[in-house]
Amino acid sequence: MTFILLLEQIFNGLQLGVTLFLIAAGLTLILGIMDFVFLAHGAQVMIGAYAAASLTALTGNFYLGILLAIPVTFASGYLLEYLLIRHLYRRNHMDQVLATFGLILFFNELIRIGFGPAALFSSLPPSLSGFVNILPETPYPVFRLLVIAVGLACALGIHLLVARTKIGAMVRAGANNETMTAALGVNIRMLRRLVFAAGACFAGIAGMMLGPLTAVEPGMGEPLLILSLVVIIIGGIGSVRGAFVAAILIGVVDTLGRVLLPVILRGFMGQAAADGAGPALASMMVYILMSLVLVVRPSGLFPPKG
Amino acid sequence: MELLRILGEGLARNRLLAVILAGFALFPIYTGIADLPFWNDLAMRIMILGMAAMGLNLVLGYGGMVSFGHAAFVGIGAYAVGISQFYGLDNGWIHVLISLFACGVLGLVIGFLSLRTTGIYFIMITLAFAQMLYFLFVSLEQFGGDDGMSIDRADFMPIDLWEPLRLYYLIWVALLLTSLFLMVIVRSRFGVVLEAIRSNESRVEAMGLVPLRFKITGYVISAMICGLAGTMFASWQEYVSPDIMHWTRSGELMIIIILGGIGTLAGPLLGAVAFLLLEEWLPELMLLVAPAYAENWMIIFGPVLIAVVLFARGGLGGLIRRIAGGG
Repeated sequence: MTFILLLEQIFNGLQLGVTLFLIAAGLTLILGIMDFVFLAHGAQVMIGAYAAASLTALTGNFYLGILLAIPVTFASGYLLEYLLIRHLYRRNHMDQVLATFGLILFFNELIRIGFGPAALFSSLPPSLSGFVNILPETPYPVFRLLVIAVGLACALGIHLLVARTKIGAMVRAGANNETMTAALGVNIRMLRRLVFAAGACFAGIAGMMLGPLTAVEPGMGEPLLILSLVVIIIGGIGSVRGAFVAAILIGVVDTLGRVLLPVILRGFMGQAAADGAGPALASMMVYILMSLVLVVRPSGLFPPKG
Repeated sequence: MELLRILGEGLARNRLLAVILAGFALFPIYTGIADLPFWNDLAMRIMILGMAAMGLNLVLGYGGMVSFGHAAFVGIGAYAVGISQFYGLDNGWIHVLISLFACGVLGLVIGFLSLRTTGIYFIMITLAFAQMLYFLFVSLEQFGGDDGMSIDRADFMPIDLWEPLRLYYLIWVALLLTSLFLMVIVRSRFGVVLEAIRSNESRVEAMGLVPLRFKITGYVISAMICGLAGTMFASWQEYVSPDIMHWTRSGELMIIIILGGIGTLAGPLLGAVAFLLLEEWLPELMLLVAPAYAENWMIIFGPVLIAVVLFARGGLGGLIRRIAGGG
C-alpha cells in the first residue's frame, strides 16, 4: 500500500463523508428538533438523483440540469410536509415509522413506474470527467474533488444558516421551547415546513452528486439512510456540528476499512478468504464504531444542550 | 388443571387470537378440498413470520423497547439448523434446543449492552448489533457467505416431516405454544411489571424493583421466540442466507406489528396475515385493474400502510375491535 493510494482513499472517504453529511444534516434536525422519525429521507436522495439525471437529459446540459433539479427537491420536501407529514407530528414514533415506511415503498415504486427498474447511468460533461494532480504525479478525478468542495461549501452554508441567521435562531428557539417560540409570534408550522424542504433539498443535492458516481436506481436511498442514521447517532441527535464530524469520520473509516482490511487479513489467512471476509468485516466497522461511541458517550459526541 | 383454566380464560379474553389460531388449524381442510397446496405454503410463511413478530412484540409492544434488530435472532435460529447439519447433527429437536440456547445467550449479551440506552439510541444500537451479525454471516465463507446454505428439512423424530402437512402442523403447534406462553406471561407479575416499566420506569424503580432485570428478561424471551421461528423457517424454506437477517427484515417485523396492532396478543399475527395477503393479492388486483402495472403493486401497498396510520388507530386489530363493538 503506497502513500499515494492511501491519500486517494482518504479523499474518497472525504467525498463519502460530505455526501453523508448532506443527507444527515436535514435528518438530524427533523429527528432531533421536530422529534419526527422520518424514514423516507433516503427517498429524497433518490428523487434528487433522478431529477438531476432526467433534467440533464432533457436540457442536454449537466449544469442546467442540476440547477433546475435543486428547486424540484425543495418543492418535493415542502409538498410532502404539507400533504402528509404535518398530520403525523403528534403521533407516536411507531406510527411515524409505519407511515414513512409506506412512503418509501410508494416513492420507490413511483420511480420504477416512471423510469423503469434498471439503473440509470449518467455521464459527466467533458469539463468534469478529467483528472487533476492533487500532488505531483497524483491524478484524482475532478468531479470527486468538486463533490468534496460542494459538500464543504454546503456544510459551511448550513452552519451559517443555523448559527448566524434569524431563521436559524428561530429554528434553535423552536427546538428549545416550541410553545414559547410560537407565543413570541414565530410561525412554527411554516418553520417546520422550511426545515423539511431544506433537508430534502440537501439530501437531493447529495443524490445529484452521487448520480454520476454510482448507479441511480429505485431503492438507492435506503442504505444511505441507514448510514446517515449511524452518523446522526454518533454525532448526537439534533447536532449539525456533530453530524459533520461523524459523517467525515464514518466516510473515512468505511472507505479505508474497505481498502485496508482485506490487505491486513491477507496477513493471516488465504487471499481468497481475506477477499471474501474483508468487505463484510469492513461494513461491520461503522457499527462497531457506533457501539463504542455509545458505550463511552451514550448520547453521541455532541449531545445538544438542553 | 389450574394451567388449563388460565389458558381457557386467556383464549376467551383474546377471542381474535383464538379465531386466527383456529383458522390456521382448519385451513388445510379448505385447501385440501379446493386443491390449493400453494396456499398451505403461504399459510406456513404467515405463521412463521407471525411467530417472530409476536416475539418482538413482547419487547416492542409490552415493554416499549423498540428493537430494530430482531431479524438477527430469526437468522441465528435458522443458521443453528444449517450449521448443526453442516457438522452432521440432524435431529430437529436438538436444533431447536441449540437455537433457543444461542438466541438466549445472544439476547442476554445484546440486551445487556443495549439496554443502557433508551429511545432512538436504543433503536440504533440494536440495529448495529444485528448488522454486525449480518455481516459476520456474509463473511463466513464455510457456511456459504453471501450465497447462503441449503438445509435439509430437519428430522423431528418420530414425526416424518416429509409426510403431507406434518411441517404445517409442527409450525402450527409451535405458534400455538408461543401464543399460550405469551398469553400467560403478559398476565403474570413479570408481564405487568414490564408494562409498568413502559409507562413509567422511575416509578417502578421507586417501588423497589430493578427495571433492567425485567427488561433484559423480556429481551431474552423475545429473542428466543424469534429463534424458534427461525428454526421453523429453516425447515420451511430448506435454505438460509444472510438476507434473513438484513435490516429490512427487522423493519418488516416492526411494520407487521404496527399494522396489526402494537402491544396486543393478536396484533402481530393479524399483521402478518394482512401483510402477506396484501403482498399476495395486490398484484392480482392490479392485474385486473391495470394489467400494465401489475408488478408495481407497491404503489398501492405504501399508501395502504399510510392509510392505516391515519385512519385506523391501534392498527387493524384496533379497527376490528371497534367494529365488533369494543369486545
